[in-house]
Amino acid sequence: AMAWRGASRAVARRLLRLPRRGIASCIDPSVGLTEEQKEFQKVALDFAAKEMAPHMAEWDEKEIFPVETMRKAAQLGFGGIYVKPDVGGSGLTRLDTSIIFEALSTGCTSTTAYMSIHNMCVWMIDTFGSEDLRQKFCPSLCSMEKFASYCLTEPGSGSDAASLLTSAQRKGDTYVLNGSKAFISGGGDTDVYVVMCRTGGPGPKGISCLVLEKGTPGLSFGKKEKKVGWNSQPTRAVIFEDCVVPVGNRLGDEGQGFNIAMKGLNGGRINIASCSLGAAHASVLLAREHLTVRKQFGEPLANNQYLQFRLAEMATRLVAARLMVRNAAQALQEGREDAAALCSMAKLFATDECFTICNQALQMHGGYGYLKDYAVQQFVRDVRVHQILEGTNEVMRMMVARNLLQG
Amino acid sequence: QAIDDDCNQTGQILAAILDWPQGTFASRVTLEQGGVVVEREVDGGLETLRLRLPAVLTADLRLNEPRYATLPNIMKAKKKPLEILSASELGGVPPSPPRLKVLKLEEPPARQGGQKVQDVVSLVEGLRQRGSL
Repeated sequence: AMAWRGASRAVARRLLRLPRRGIASCIDPSVGLTEEQKEFQKVALDFAAKEMAPHMAEWDEKEIFPVETMRKAAQLGFGGIYVKPDVGGSGLTRLDTSIIFEALSTGCTSTTAYMSIHNMCVWMIDTFGSEDLRQKFCPSLCSMEKFASYCLTEPGSGSDAASLLTSAQRKGDTYVLNGSKAFISGGGDTDVYVVMCRTGGPGPKGISCLVLEKGTPGLSFGKKEKKVGWNSQPTRAVIFEDCVVPVGNRLGDEGQGFNIAMKGLNGGRINIASCSLGAAHASVLLAREHLTVRKQFGEPLANNQYLQFRLAEMATRLVAARLMVRNAAQALQEGREDAAALCSMAKLFATDECFTICNQALQMHGGYGYLKDYAVQQFVRDVRVHQILEGTNEVMRMMVARNLLQG
Repeated sequence: QAIDDDCNQTGQILAAILDWPQGTFASRVTLEQGGVVVEREVDGGLETLRLRLPAVLTADLRLNEPRYATLPNIMKAKKKPLEILSASELGGVPPSPPRLKVLKLEEPPARQGGQKVQDVVSLVEGLRQRGSL
Protein backbone atom coordinates (compact mmCIF):
# COMPACT_ATOMS: atom_id res chain seq x y z
CA ALA A 1 0.00 0.00 0.00
CA MET A 2 1.10 3.55 -0.73
CA ALA A 3 2.95 4.92 2.26
CA TRP A 4 2.84 8.59 1.33
CA ARG A 5 3.82 10.90 4.11
CA GLY A 6 0.75 11.85 6.13
CA ALA A 7 -1.17 8.71 5.14
CA SER A 8 -0.91 5.84 7.62
CA ARG A 9 -0.33 2.38 6.24
CA ALA A 10 -3.90 1.25 6.97
CA VAL A 11 -5.36 4.32 5.34
CA ALA A 12 -3.02 3.99 2.42
CA ARG A 13 -3.99 0.34 1.90
CA ARG A 14 -7.60 1.38 1.59
CA LEU A 15 -6.79 4.19 -0.78
CA LEU A 16 -5.16 2.32 -3.60
CA ARG A 17 -7.29 -0.79 -3.49
CA LEU A 18 -10.23 0.88 -5.13
CA PRO A 19 -13.39 -1.04 -4.20
CA ARG A 20 -13.94 -4.00 -6.52
CA ARG A 21 -17.16 -5.77 -5.59
CA GLY A 22 -20.35 -4.00 -6.57
CA ILE A 23 -19.04 -0.44 -6.51
CA ALA A 24 -17.55 0.75 -9.81
CA SER A 25 -15.10 3.55 -9.31
CA CYS A 26 -15.29 6.06 -12.11
CA ILE A 27 -11.60 6.98 -11.88
CA ASP A 28 -10.22 3.43 -11.91
CA PRO A 29 -7.20 3.64 -14.25
CA SER A 30 -7.42 -0.04 -15.21
CA VAL A 31 -10.71 0.38 -17.03
CA GLY A 32 -10.54 -0.49 -20.72
CA LEU A 33 -7.14 -2.13 -20.52
CA THR A 34 -6.22 -5.59 -21.77
CA GLU A 35 -5.37 -8.31 -19.22
CA GLU A 36 -1.71 -7.89 -20.06
CA GLN A 37 -1.83 -4.11 -19.61
CA LYS A 38 -3.53 -4.60 -16.25
CA GLU A 39 -0.61 -6.82 -15.25
CA PHE A 40 1.92 -4.15 -16.27
CA GLN A 41 -0.07 -1.58 -14.36
CA LYS A 42 -0.22 -3.79 -11.30
CA VAL A 43 3.55 -4.28 -11.23
CA ALA A 44 4.12 -0.57 -11.68
CA LEU A 45 1.61 0.35 -8.97
CA ASP A 46 3.11 -2.21 -6.56
CA PHE A 47 6.58 -0.91 -7.27
CA ALA A 48 5.42 2.68 -6.81
CA ALA A 49 3.72 1.84 -3.52
CA LYS A 50 6.56 -0.13 -1.99
CA GLU A 51 9.73 1.29 -3.48
CA MET A 52 8.91 4.91 -4.24
CA ALA A 53 6.08 6.36 -2.16
CA PRO A 54 7.77 5.78 1.21
CA HIS A 55 10.79 7.76 -0.01
CA MET A 56 9.33 10.46 -2.21
CA ALA A 57 9.36 13.10 0.52
CA GLU A 58 12.94 12.35 1.53
CA TRP A 59 14.15 12.36 -2.05
CA ASP A 60 12.54 15.77 -2.51
CA GLU A 61 13.82 17.21 0.76
CA LYS A 62 17.38 15.94 0.46
CA GLU A 63 17.54 16.24 -3.35
CA ILE A 64 18.52 12.58 -3.70
CA PHE A 65 18.80 11.10 -7.21
CA PRO A 66 17.53 7.59 -6.39
CA VAL A 67 19.89 5.59 -8.56
CA GLU A 68 19.40 2.24 -6.80
CA THR A 69 15.61 2.46 -6.88
CA MET A 70 15.65 3.33 -10.58
CA ARG A 71 17.96 0.39 -11.25
CA LYS A 72 15.48 -1.86 -9.46
CA ALA A 73 12.81 -0.48 -11.75
CA ALA A 74 15.05 -1.15 -14.74
CA GLN A 75 15.37 -4.79 -13.65
CA LEU A 76 11.64 -5.06 -14.13
CA GLY A 77 11.97 -3.68 -17.64
CA PHE A 78 11.23 -0.02 -16.97
CA GLY A 79 14.57 1.27 -18.33
CA GLY A 80 13.72 0.95 -22.02
CA ILE A 81 10.01 0.32 -22.13
CA TYR A 82 9.49 1.02 -25.83
CA VAL A 83 13.01 0.09 -26.90
CA LYS A 84 13.55 -3.03 -29.02
CA PRO A 85 14.27 -6.25 -27.08
CA ASP A 86 17.40 -7.09 -29.06
CA VAL A 87 19.24 -4.35 -27.17
CA GLY A 88 17.64 -4.97 -23.79
CA GLY A 89 14.38 -3.07 -24.17
CA SER A 90 10.91 -4.32 -23.30
CA GLY A 91 9.44 -3.77 -26.76
CA LEU A 92 6.11 -2.47 -25.48
CA THR A 93 3.72 0.01 -27.07
CA ARG A 94 3.33 3.74 -26.35
CA LEU A 95 0.06 3.01 -24.61
CA ASP A 96 1.69 0.39 -22.37
CA THR A 97 4.36 2.99 -21.61
CA SER A 98 1.79 5.64 -20.71
CA ILE A 99 0.03 3.23 -18.36
CA ILE A 100 3.30 2.33 -16.68
CA PHE A 101 4.50 5.90 -16.16
CA GLU A 102 1.08 6.94 -14.90
CA ALA A 103 1.26 4.17 -12.32
CA LEU A 104 4.86 4.83 -11.27
CA SER A 105 4.11 8.52 -10.93
CA THR A 106 1.73 7.82 -8.04
CA GLY A 107 4.83 6.81 -6.08
CA CYS A 108 7.08 9.71 -7.04
CA THR A 109 6.27 12.01 -9.93
CA SER A 110 9.70 13.63 -10.15
CA THR A 111 11.62 10.35 -10.34
CA THR A 112 9.18 8.88 -12.83
CA ALA A 113 9.50 11.97 -15.00
CA TYR A 114 13.26 11.55 -15.08
CA MET A 115 12.82 7.87 -15.97
CA SER A 116 10.62 8.93 -18.87
CA ILE A 117 13.31 11.29 -20.16
CA HIS A 118 15.86 8.48 -19.87
CA ASN A 119 13.51 6.18 -21.81
CA MET A 120 13.11 8.81 -24.53
CA CYS A 121 16.90 9.06 -24.97
CA VAL A 122 17.37 5.30 -25.19
CA TRP A 123 14.59 5.12 -27.79
CA MET A 124 16.30 7.79 -29.88
CA ILE A 125 19.57 5.87 -29.92
CA ASP A 126 17.71 2.61 -30.56
CA THR A 127 15.74 4.06 -33.47
CA PHE A 128 18.22 6.38 -35.16
CA GLY A 129 21.60 5.05 -34.10
CA SER A 130 23.82 2.79 -36.17
CA GLU A 131 23.93 -0.87 -35.22
CA ASP A 132 27.26 -0.25 -33.47
CA LEU A 133 25.84 2.66 -31.52
CA ARG A 134 22.74 0.71 -30.51
CA GLN A 135 24.82 -2.18 -29.26
CA LYS A 136 27.24 0.10 -27.51
CA PHE A 137 24.77 2.24 -25.58
CA CYS A 138 21.32 0.69 -25.38
CA PRO A 139 21.93 -2.42 -23.22
CA SER A 140 23.57 -0.52 -20.38
CA LEU A 141 20.95 2.23 -20.62
CA CYS A 142 18.05 -0.24 -20.57
CA SER A 143 19.44 -1.78 -17.40
CA MET A 144 20.14 1.72 -16.05
CA GLU A 145 23.69 0.72 -15.38
CA LYS A 146 24.10 4.06 -17.13
CA PHE A 147 21.75 7.03 -17.19
CA ALA A 148 20.96 9.42 -20.03
CA SER A 149 20.12 13.09 -20.50
CA TYR A 150 18.39 14.89 -23.38
CA CYS A 151 20.13 18.13 -24.37
CA LEU A 152 18.16 20.52 -26.58
CA THR A 153 17.44 23.71 -24.64
CA GLU A 154 20.06 26.45 -24.42
CA PRO A 155 20.22 29.71 -22.49
CA GLY A 156 19.26 31.50 -25.72
CA SER A 157 16.87 28.95 -27.22
CA GLY A 158 13.95 27.38 -25.36
CA SER A 159 10.67 27.50 -27.25
CA ASP A 160 12.59 28.61 -30.31
CA ALA A 161 14.56 25.38 -30.18
CA ALA A 162 15.61 25.48 -33.84
CA SER A 163 17.67 28.59 -33.19
CA LEU A 164 20.12 26.66 -31.03
CA LEU A 165 23.75 27.70 -31.23
CA THR A 166 25.83 24.79 -29.91
CA SER A 167 28.11 24.07 -32.83
CA ALA A 168 29.63 20.81 -34.01
CA GLN A 169 32.43 21.40 -36.50
CA ARG A 170 33.42 18.49 -38.67
CA LYS A 171 37.13 17.65 -38.39
CA GLY A 172 38.11 14.47 -40.20
CA ASP A 173 36.09 11.68 -38.64
CA THR A 174 35.16 13.67 -35.56
CA TYR A 175 32.98 16.60 -34.58
CA VAL A 176 34.24 19.30 -32.24
CA LEU A 177 31.49 20.64 -30.00
CA ASN A 178 31.30 24.11 -28.54
CA GLY A 179 28.43 25.71 -26.67
CA SER A 180 26.18 25.08 -23.72
CA LYS A 181 22.84 23.61 -22.85
CA ALA A 182 20.56 24.74 -20.05
CA PHE A 183 18.14 23.04 -17.66
CA ILE A 184 19.36 19.55 -18.44
CA SER A 185 17.60 16.92 -16.31
CA GLY A 186 20.14 14.56 -14.79
CA GLY A 187 22.96 16.77 -16.08
CA GLY A 188 26.22 16.07 -14.28
CA ASP A 189 25.01 12.82 -12.73
CA THR A 190 24.14 11.00 -15.92
CA ASP A 191 26.55 9.13 -18.19
CA VAL A 192 25.20 9.54 -21.71
CA TYR A 193 24.17 12.83 -23.33
CA VAL A 194 22.01 13.03 -26.45
CA VAL A 195 22.87 16.49 -27.81
CA MET A 196 21.21 18.51 -30.55
CA CYS A 197 23.86 20.74 -32.18
CA ARG A 198 24.47 22.75 -35.32
CA THR A 199 26.48 21.07 -38.04
CA GLY A 200 25.09 23.10 -40.92
CA GLY A 201 23.40 26.40 -41.64
CA PRO A 202 20.77 28.19 -39.53
CA GLY A 203 17.34 26.80 -38.79
CA PRO A 204 16.17 23.25 -38.18
CA LYS A 205 17.83 21.74 -41.23
CA GLY A 206 21.29 22.61 -39.93
CA ILE A 207 20.90 20.56 -36.75
CA SER A 208 22.31 17.13 -36.04
CA CYS A 209 22.11 14.80 -33.07
CA LEU A 210 25.23 13.50 -31.33
CA VAL A 211 25.74 11.11 -28.41
CA LEU A 212 28.43 12.02 -25.88
CA GLU A 213 29.69 10.31 -22.78
CA LYS A 214 30.54 11.84 -19.45
CA GLY A 215 34.28 12.06 -19.08
CA THR A 216 34.79 13.36 -22.61
CA PRO A 217 37.46 16.07 -22.28
CA GLY A 218 35.87 19.50 -22.48
CA LEU A 219 32.49 18.33 -21.14
CA SER A 220 31.64 20.12 -17.92
CA PHE A 221 28.59 21.08 -15.92
CA GLY A 222 27.13 24.15 -14.29
CA LYS A 223 25.93 24.38 -10.72
CA LYS A 224 23.04 22.22 -9.57
CA GLU A 225 19.88 24.33 -9.92
CA LYS A 226 17.61 24.90 -6.91
CA LYS A 227 14.09 24.08 -8.03
CA VAL A 228 10.54 24.32 -6.70
CA GLY A 229 10.01 20.66 -7.50
CA TRP A 230 11.58 17.78 -9.48
CA ASN A 231 14.13 17.67 -6.68
CA SER A 232 14.84 13.97 -6.97
CA GLN A 233 16.62 14.74 -10.24
CA PRO A 234 19.55 17.16 -10.53
CA THR A 235 19.28 19.91 -13.17
CA ARG A 236 22.42 21.51 -14.50
CA ALA A 237 23.80 23.41 -17.48
CA VAL A 238 25.94 21.24 -19.75
CA ILE A 239 29.00 22.96 -21.22
CA PHE A 240 31.01 21.87 -24.27
CA GLU A 241 34.50 23.27 -24.80
CA ASP A 242 36.16 21.70 -27.82
CA CYS A 243 34.60 18.32 -27.05
CA VAL A 244 35.69 15.75 -29.59
CA VAL A 245 33.00 13.27 -30.62
CA PRO A 246 33.45 10.49 -33.20
CA VAL A 247 31.30 10.83 -36.31
CA GLY A 248 29.99 7.37 -35.55
CA ASN A 249 28.21 8.83 -32.52
CA ARG A 250 25.82 10.76 -34.73
CA LEU A 251 22.20 9.61 -34.72
CA GLY A 252 20.76 9.59 -38.21
CA ASP A 253 22.12 11.88 -40.92
CA GLU A 254 23.55 15.35 -40.70
CA GLY A 255 20.64 17.76 -40.71
CA GLN A 256 18.25 15.15 -39.33
CA GLY A 257 18.83 16.16 -35.70
CA PHE A 258 15.84 18.44 -35.30
CA ASN A 259 13.55 15.87 -36.79
CA ILE A 260 14.91 13.25 -34.39
CA ALA A 261 14.50 15.62 -31.45
CA MET A 262 10.88 16.28 -32.36
CA LYS A 263 10.09 12.61 -32.85
CA GLY A 264 11.58 11.92 -29.44
CA LEU A 265 9.44 14.67 -27.95
CA ASN A 266 6.18 13.26 -29.31
CA GLY A 267 6.68 10.26 -27.05
CA GLY A 268 8.20 12.44 -24.35
CA ARG A 269 5.06 14.56 -24.25
CA ILE A 270 2.83 11.54 -23.76
CA ASN A 271 5.13 10.35 -21.01
CA ILE A 272 5.18 13.67 -19.17
CA ALA A 273 1.41 13.93 -19.52
CA SER A 274 1.17 10.41 -18.08
CA CYS A 275 3.27 11.48 -15.10
CA SER A 276 0.80 14.32 -14.53
CA LEU A 277 -2.06 11.82 -14.63
CA GLY A 278 -0.48 9.71 -11.92
CA ALA A 279 0.09 12.69 -9.66
CA ALA A 280 -3.48 13.89 -10.17
CA HIS A 281 -4.90 10.44 -9.47
CA ALA A 282 -2.90 10.18 -6.26
CA SER A 283 -4.02 13.67 -5.27
CA VAL A 284 -7.70 12.86 -5.86
CA LEU A 285 -7.37 9.79 -3.62
CA LEU A 286 -5.68 11.83 -0.91
CA ALA A 287 -8.35 14.53 -1.15
CA ARG A 288 -11.15 11.97 -1.04
CA GLU A 289 -9.67 10.41 2.09
CA HIS A 290 -9.25 13.78 3.73
CA LEU A 291 -12.86 14.73 3.03
CA THR A 292 -14.11 11.61 4.79
CA VAL A 293 -11.87 12.09 7.80
CA ARG A 294 -11.84 15.83 8.46
CA LYS A 295 -14.84 17.25 10.28
CA GLN A 296 -15.96 20.84 10.47
CA PHE A 297 -19.31 22.33 11.47
CA GLY A 298 -20.17 18.99 13.07
CA GLU A 299 -19.87 16.92 9.92
CA PRO A 300 -17.27 15.27 7.69
CA LEU A 301 -16.21 17.59 4.86
CA ALA A 302 -17.53 14.93 2.48
CA ASN A 303 -21.11 15.95 3.39
CA ASN A 304 -20.49 19.42 2.00
CA GLN A 305 -22.04 19.74 -1.45
CA TYR A 306 -19.52 22.27 -2.70
CA LEU A 307 -16.70 19.87 -1.93
CA GLN A 308 -18.62 16.95 -3.41
CA PHE A 309 -19.12 18.89 -6.61
CA ARG A 310 -15.50 19.98 -6.62
CA LEU A 311 -14.32 16.39 -6.20
CA ALA A 312 -16.63 15.32 -9.01
CA GLU A 313 -15.17 17.98 -11.31
CA MET A 314 -11.65 16.87 -10.46
CA ALA A 315 -12.54 13.26 -11.22
CA THR A 316 -14.23 14.21 -14.49
CA ARG A 317 -11.25 16.18 -15.70
CA LEU A 318 -8.87 13.43 -14.65
CA VAL A 319 -10.70 10.87 -16.74
CA ALA A 320 -10.94 13.28 -19.68
CA ALA A 321 -7.20 13.93 -19.51
CA ARG A 322 -6.43 10.24 -19.24
CA LEU A 323 -8.48 9.45 -22.33
CA MET A 324 -6.72 12.18 -24.30
CA VAL A 325 -3.32 10.86 -23.33
CA ARG A 326 -4.15 7.23 -24.10
CA ASN A 327 -5.74 8.22 -27.40
CA ALA A 328 -2.61 10.13 -28.40
CA ALA A 329 -0.44 7.18 -27.36
CA GLN A 330 -2.47 4.92 -29.61
CA ALA A 331 -2.17 7.35 -32.54
CA LEU A 332 1.60 7.60 -32.09
CA GLN A 333 1.91 3.83 -31.95
CA GLU A 334 0.02 3.52 -35.19
CA GLY A 335 2.11 6.22 -36.82
CA ARG A 336 -0.96 8.24 -37.72
CA GLU A 337 -0.56 11.58 -39.45
CA ASP A 338 -2.32 13.45 -36.66
CA ALA A 339 -0.16 11.85 -33.95
CA ALA A 340 2.12 14.84 -33.31
CA ALA A 341 -0.83 17.20 -32.98
CA LEU A 342 -2.66 14.76 -30.71
CA CYS A 343 0.43 14.39 -28.53
CA SER A 344 0.59 18.17 -28.24
CA MET A 345 -3.11 18.39 -27.36
CA ALA A 346 -2.79 15.63 -24.81
CA LYS A 347 0.27 17.20 -23.20
CA LEU A 348 -1.41 20.62 -23.11
CA PHE A 349 -4.68 19.36 -21.71
CA ALA A 350 -3.40 16.79 -19.25
CA THR A 351 -0.62 18.87 -17.72
CA ASP A 352 -2.91 21.89 -17.27
CA GLU A 353 -5.84 19.91 -15.89
CA CYS A 354 -3.72 17.73 -13.65
CA PHE A 355 -1.95 20.69 -12.09
CA THR A 356 -5.35 22.18 -11.33
CA ILE A 357 -6.53 18.88 -9.86
CA CYS A 358 -3.46 18.56 -7.63
CA ASN A 359 -3.82 22.18 -6.58
CA GLN A 360 -7.51 21.75 -5.77
CA ALA A 361 -6.68 18.64 -3.78
CA LEU A 362 -4.22 20.70 -1.79
CA GLN A 363 -6.90 23.33 -1.16
CA MET A 364 -9.25 20.65 0.15
CA HIS A 365 -6.67 19.74 2.75
CA GLY A 366 -6.85 23.25 4.19
CA GLY A 367 -3.83 24.30 6.16
CA TYR A 368 -2.53 20.75 6.30
CA GLY A 369 -2.18 20.80 2.53
CA TYR A 370 0.51 23.42 2.85
CA LEU A 371 2.68 21.30 5.16
CA LYS A 372 5.45 19.14 3.81
CA ASP A 373 4.26 16.42 6.14
CA TYR A 374 1.50 15.81 3.60
CA ALA A 375 2.26 14.44 0.16
CA VAL A 376 -0.22 16.52 -1.81
CA GLN A 377 1.99 19.63 -1.90
CA GLN A 378 4.80 17.65 -3.51
CA PHE A 379 2.51 16.44 -6.27
CA VAL A 380 1.55 20.06 -6.89
CA ARG A 381 5.16 21.23 -7.00
CA ASP A 382 6.32 18.32 -9.13
CA VAL A 383 3.65 18.61 -11.82
CA ARG A 384 3.88 22.39 -12.13
CA VAL A 385 6.90 22.13 -14.41
CA HIS A 386 5.14 19.69 -16.73
CA GLN A 387 3.26 22.70 -18.13
CA ILE A 388 6.62 24.20 -19.10
CA LEU A 389 9.09 21.59 -20.30
CA GLU A 390 9.11 19.27 -23.30
CA GLY A 391 7.55 22.19 -25.13
CA THR A 392 5.67 24.82 -23.17
CA ASN A 393 1.91 24.58 -23.26
CA GLU A 394 2.06 27.70 -25.40
CA VAL A 395 4.17 25.86 -27.95
CA MET A 396 1.66 23.00 -27.79
CA ARG A 397 -0.98 25.48 -28.93
CA MET A 398 1.31 26.52 -31.80
CA MET A 399 1.54 22.93 -32.93
CA VAL A 400 -2.18 22.33 -32.79
CA ALA A 401 -2.91 25.61 -34.61
CA ARG A 402 -0.42 24.68 -37.29
CA ASN A 403 -2.21 21.38 -37.80
CA LEU A 404 -5.58 23.10 -38.02
CA LEU A 405 -4.50 25.87 -40.38
CA GLN A 406 -2.06 24.00 -42.62
CA GLY A 407 -2.73 23.43 -46.32
CA GLN B 1 -6.45 -21.95 2.94
CA ALA B 2 -7.78 -22.55 -0.54
CA ILE B 3 -9.42 -19.59 -2.17
CA ASP B 4 -12.45 -21.58 -3.28
CA ASP B 5 -13.73 -23.13 -0.09
CA ASP B 6 -11.47 -21.45 2.50
CA CYS B 7 -11.29 -24.79 4.34
CA ASN B 8 -7.73 -24.45 5.63
CA GLN B 9 -7.21 -28.21 5.88
CA THR B 10 -4.97 -29.55 3.12
CA GLY B 11 -1.67 -29.15 4.97
CA GLN B 12 -3.15 -30.40 8.20
CA ILE B 13 -4.75 -33.48 6.59
CA LEU B 14 -1.47 -34.24 4.81
CA ALA B 15 0.45 -34.11 8.09
CA ALA B 16 -2.08 -36.44 9.70
CA ILE B 17 -1.90 -38.96 6.84
CA LEU B 18 1.89 -38.92 6.90
CA ASP B 19 2.02 -38.73 10.67
CA TRP B 20 4.51 -35.87 10.39
CA PRO B 21 4.62 -32.77 12.61
CA GLN B 22 2.95 -29.67 11.17
CA GLY B 23 3.72 -25.95 11.32
CA THR B 24 0.90 -24.05 9.67
CA PHE B 25 0.54 -20.29 8.97
CA ALA B 26 4.34 -20.05 9.05
CA SER B 27 5.55 -16.46 8.98
CA ARG B 28 9.17 -17.30 9.74
CA VAL B 29 11.07 -20.55 9.18
CA THR B 30 14.57 -21.23 10.48
CA LEU B 31 16.38 -24.48 9.78
CA GLU B 32 18.31 -26.04 12.65
CA GLN B 33 20.25 -29.20 13.15
CA GLY B 34 17.75 -31.97 12.31
CA GLY B 35 14.77 -29.72 12.86
CA VAL B 36 13.03 -26.49 12.02
CA VAL B 37 11.83 -23.57 14.14
CA VAL B 38 8.53 -22.23 12.87
CA GLU B 39 6.94 -18.97 13.96
CA ARG B 40 3.19 -19.20 13.33
CA GLU B 41 0.59 -16.49 12.97
CA VAL B 42 -2.26 -17.46 15.30
CA ASP B 43 -5.32 -15.53 16.39
CA GLY B 44 -3.74 -14.58 19.68
CA GLY B 45 -0.43 -13.50 18.21
CA LEU B 46 2.62 -15.54 17.34
CA GLU B 47 3.41 -19.11 18.36
CA THR B 48 6.88 -20.55 17.98
CA LEU B 49 7.32 -24.30 17.54
CA ARG B 50 10.31 -26.52 17.09
CA LEU B 51 9.57 -29.45 14.79
CA ARG B 52 11.54 -32.55 13.90
CA LEU B 53 12.06 -33.12 10.20
CA PRO B 54 10.41 -34.21 8.02
CA ALA B 55 7.49 -31.89 8.69
CA VAL B 56 4.64 -30.25 6.82
CA LEU B 57 4.65 -26.44 6.71
CA THR B 58 2.08 -24.10 5.22
CA ALA B 59 2.99 -20.53 4.38
CA ASP B 60 1.37 -17.36 5.66
CA LEU B 61 1.59 -14.30 3.42
CA ARG B 62 4.12 -12.80 5.80
CA LEU B 63 6.63 -15.58 5.18
CA ASN B 64 8.25 -14.00 2.16
CA GLU B 65 8.28 -10.82 0.13
CA PRO B 66 6.99 -11.74 -3.34
CA ARG B 67 9.18 -10.71 -6.24
CA TYR B 68 7.82 -8.26 -8.76
CA ALA B 69 6.98 -9.78 -12.12
CA THR B 70 9.15 -8.28 -14.83
CA LEU B 71 7.60 -6.87 -18.01
CA PRO B 72 9.24 -9.51 -20.25
CA ASN B 73 7.98 -12.28 -17.95
CA ILE B 74 4.44 -10.91 -18.02
CA MET B 75 4.57 -11.06 -21.79
CA LYS B 76 5.98 -14.59 -21.76
CA ALA B 77 3.31 -15.72 -19.31
CA LYS B 78 0.67 -15.03 -21.92
CA LYS B 79 2.29 -17.59 -24.22
CA LYS B 80 2.83 -20.37 -21.66
CA PRO B 81 0.67 -23.45 -22.30
CA LEU B 82 -2.08 -24.14 -19.79
CA GLU B 83 -2.24 -27.91 -19.30
CA ILE B 84 -5.40 -29.33 -17.73
CA LEU B 85 -4.97 -32.70 -16.02
CA SER B 86 -7.59 -35.01 -14.54
CA ALA B 87 -7.23 -36.64 -11.14
CA SER B 88 -6.74 -40.08 -12.71
CA GLU B 89 -3.86 -38.75 -14.87
CA LEU B 90 -2.17 -37.80 -11.61
CA GLY B 91 -2.69 -41.29 -10.24
CA GLY B 92 -5.54 -40.37 -7.90
CA VAL B 93 -9.04 -41.73 -7.76
CA PRO B 94 -11.64 -39.25 -6.51
CA PRO B 95 -14.22 -40.92 -4.24
CA SER B 96 -17.58 -41.71 -5.86
CA PRO B 97 -20.02 -40.51 -4.69
CA PRO B 98 -18.05 -37.41 -3.52
CA ARG B 99 -17.49 -37.33 0.25
CA LEU B 100 -18.48 -33.68 0.43
CA LYS B 101 -22.02 -32.56 -0.40
CA VAL B 102 -22.98 -28.87 -0.40
CA LEU B 103 -26.28 -28.57 1.47
CA LYS B 104 -26.72 -24.82 1.39
CA LEU B 105 -24.85 -21.67 0.41
CA GLU B 106 -26.05 -18.32 1.78
CA GLU B 107 -24.74 -14.87 2.59
CA PRO B 108 -24.45 -13.91 6.24
CA PRO B 109 -27.46 -11.92 7.49
CA ALA B 110 -27.35 -8.20 6.77
CA ARG B 111 -25.86 -6.26 9.65
CA GLN B 112 -28.56 -4.87 11.93
CA GLY B 113 -28.27 -1.47 13.53
CA GLY B 114 -27.17 -1.49 17.17
CA GLN B 115 -28.70 0.19 20.16
CA LYS B 116 -27.16 2.83 22.40
CA VAL B 117 -27.49 2.39 26.16
CA GLN B 118 -26.86 4.87 28.95
CA ASP B 119 -24.76 2.81 31.33
CA VAL B 120 -23.00 -0.46 32.00
CA VAL B 121 -25.97 -1.91 33.93
CA SER B 122 -28.26 -1.41 30.89
CA LEU B 123 -25.56 -2.91 28.66
CA VAL B 124 -25.34 -6.09 30.73
CA GLU B 125 -29.14 -6.29 30.90
CA GLY B 126 -29.42 -5.87 27.13
CA LEU B 127 -26.84 -8.59 26.47
CA ARG B 128 -28.64 -10.91 28.86
CA GLN B 129 -31.94 -10.29 27.10
CA ARG B 130 -30.44 -11.23 23.75
CA GLY B 131 -29.08 -14.40 25.22
CA SER B 132 -25.47 -13.32 24.71
CA LEU B 133 -24.73 -13.68 28.44
